[in-house]
Amino acid sequence: MTSETAVEIRDLVKDFRSPLRGVKAFRAVDGVSLRIQAGEVYGLIGPNGSGKSTTMKALLGLVAPSSGTCSIFGKDSLKVDSRNDVGFLPENPYFYKHLTGAETLRFYGKLCNLRGKLLENRVTELLELVDLTNARDRRLGGYSKGMLQRIGLAQAMVQDPRLLILDEPTAGVDPIGSRQIRDLIMTLRDRGITVFLCSHLLEQVQEVCDHVGIIFQGKMVKEGRLDDLIAIEDQTEVVMKNASPELMEKIRTLVEQEESATLLRMGKPRTTLERLFLRETQIDKK
Amino acid sequence: MTSQNSKTSNRWLQPRRVTVIAMHTFTQLVRMKVFYFLSVFALIVIAANFLDLPQFNGPEAIGVGELQMLKSTCMGVMKLFAVVFVIAATALLLPKDVEDRTLYTILAKPVPRLDYLVGKIAGVLLLVFVSLLLMDLLMTVVLSFRTNHLLVDQLSWAEARGWTQEAIDSERRDIIAQGPTWSFQGAVFAIFLQSAIIGAVALLLSTFSTSTLFTIILSFLIYLIGHFQADAADYYKATAEAGSNAFTTTMTKLLSLIFPNFQLFNVIDAVIEGIPMTMNAIISLTGLSLFYVVLYTMLSWFVFSDKEF
Ligand SMILES: Nc1ncnc2c1ncn2[C@@H]1O[C@H](COP(=O)(O)OP(=O)(O)OP(=O)(O)O)[C@@H](O)[C@H]1O
Ligand SMILES: [Mg+2]
Repeated sequence: MTSETAVEIRDLVKDFRSPLRGVKAFRAVDGVSLRIQAGEVYGLIGPNGSGKSTTMKALLGLVAPSSGTCSIFGKDSLKVDSRNDVGFLPENPYFYKHLTGAETLRFYGKLCNLRGKLLENRVTELLELVDLTNARDRRLGGYSKGMLQRIGLAQAMVQDPRLLILDEPTAGVDPIGSRQIRDLIMTLRDRGITVFLCSHLLEQVQEVCDHVGIIFQGKMVKEGRLDDLIAIEDQTEVVMKNASPELMEKIRTLVEQEESATLLRMGKPRTTLERLFLRETQIDKK
Repeated sequence: MTSQNSKTSNRWLQPRRVTVIAMHTFTQLVRMKVFYFLSVFALIVIAANFLDLPQFNGPEAIGVGELQMLKSTCMGVMKLFAVVFVIAATALLLPKDVEDRTLYTILAKPVPRLDYLVGKIAGVLLLVFVSLLLMDLLMTVVLSFRTNHLLVDQLSWAEARGWTQEAIDSERRDIIAQGPTWSFQGAVFAIFLQSAIIGAVALLLSTFSTSTLFTIILSFLIYLIGHFQADAADYYKATAEAGSNAFTTTMTKLLSLIFPNFQLFNVIDAVIEGIPMTMNAIISLTGLSLFYVVLYTMLSWFVFSDKEF
């Protein structure tokens, strides 16, 4: 995999001025820096209102940073050219109700300078990919929330961008659909596409992401490779299949004989990212 | 895994991209069933056709008066439609995109904000143009039918009265001047130009106003001010010491730069009265409208380019 930098955010600060209260600005993002290498899947997690969506919007040039810079493949986010190679799925996406699924994709494809046979093939291929071939000629006004989410995902991928920015891609999607989206992200990763996503479904983040950043009240509180983050250095985990109670008992006595080691727990493995998340966002609350 | 389009430049006002957005806006409006209005218009034209006219000018003027009445009713409706529609559509479409977050998805593609704005206004104007064209066609058919009918009626009436050939010819000229002339087409085009200006005003307002209602009301106000500002300017000049007050002249000039001077569009009323419209008038109106539309669109872009969503 190339070591090109796909996303670079440096000391991003975003203040929202309130038109009513006047002077006191609200700091939504406070000095966030992150770097995503091409081919990585990066997950941004954090509680509601912690600035995840704002960070993504700044990266896409939809909001201007109060200070700091964002760039995509080395191109400044405030320039139109930076959007050549990126697809974006906003949170709670909502598209033109009067268009059908195919027309929607065609419209966004044309905005990316695709046309003719190439565009038509792409539209069919994408509808197939997000499992909406049946709803191809139905207007979006009649789509369900999960269907909208999926057409949004297809729309983001229309020009085959090298970077996908997905704001809660599985919100409102049923368990099967959300599994499909997860699988899709994995397929994309295998094809070398960089994905920057945020989600509240930590289990899924843990499954698909290589890198994770935890953002809390606008600040990046923890960041790094997922494996490093959730590994606890002085502990070792042994995961076994079909272990009999007798075997477990043997292990217990073995460990007891050892001076330096202590057995902490035995049982089913847990989602450790979830625990990390809770810990990080609670320490700071105090 | 490089996309083939990453090499194409994203300069402003790429015609193809603007066309895509304009056509999309056009379809959006068509699917909002705007064209239903046209059937209402057809009804009005037909109703106006059968309207009985009070006889205020003596029998020989009836024919001319009837045609004027028909034209003024229909052009009034056309103008009303064009202005109301252009303001409402422009004021609604932009905030709707922002509210629905569809704008995010568009601006997240390599689309310069200017292209988006120009595409939107172009789409709205295209719809106004097509509607006016259809109304104009209907109007022309009805008017020419009516004119021919009158011509036959009035001339036989005049002949029976034993009018001189000269008088009959003049009567014929008078009636034809009220019919579907090129001036009439020019007046319809002037309606389009006027709505283009007011549409650009609404676009500008909607880029910084936070409420659609505010945009609509203010646009109508500016439309009215545009009609009266020349009067106001004249009044100003008359009251101030002629030529000596630089401040008033500057103010009037500034005012006419900010508020479009719609009095120039009074040619529409002149055409209804049967006064021909010169080619020069059309050209200067087009130039003026273009100036205002470009000015307001640039100002909109200026506001819109710094906007956050
Ligand atoms: N346009 C805006 N004007 C004012 N404040 C805003 C604006 N957009 C976001 N904020 C504030 O910035 C903060 C961060 O919002 P953001 O949408 O980035 O949160 P988030 O992490 O995406 O939350 P969620 O998980 O609920 O989607 C919030 O407190 C929000 O109120
Ligand atoms: Mg969010």
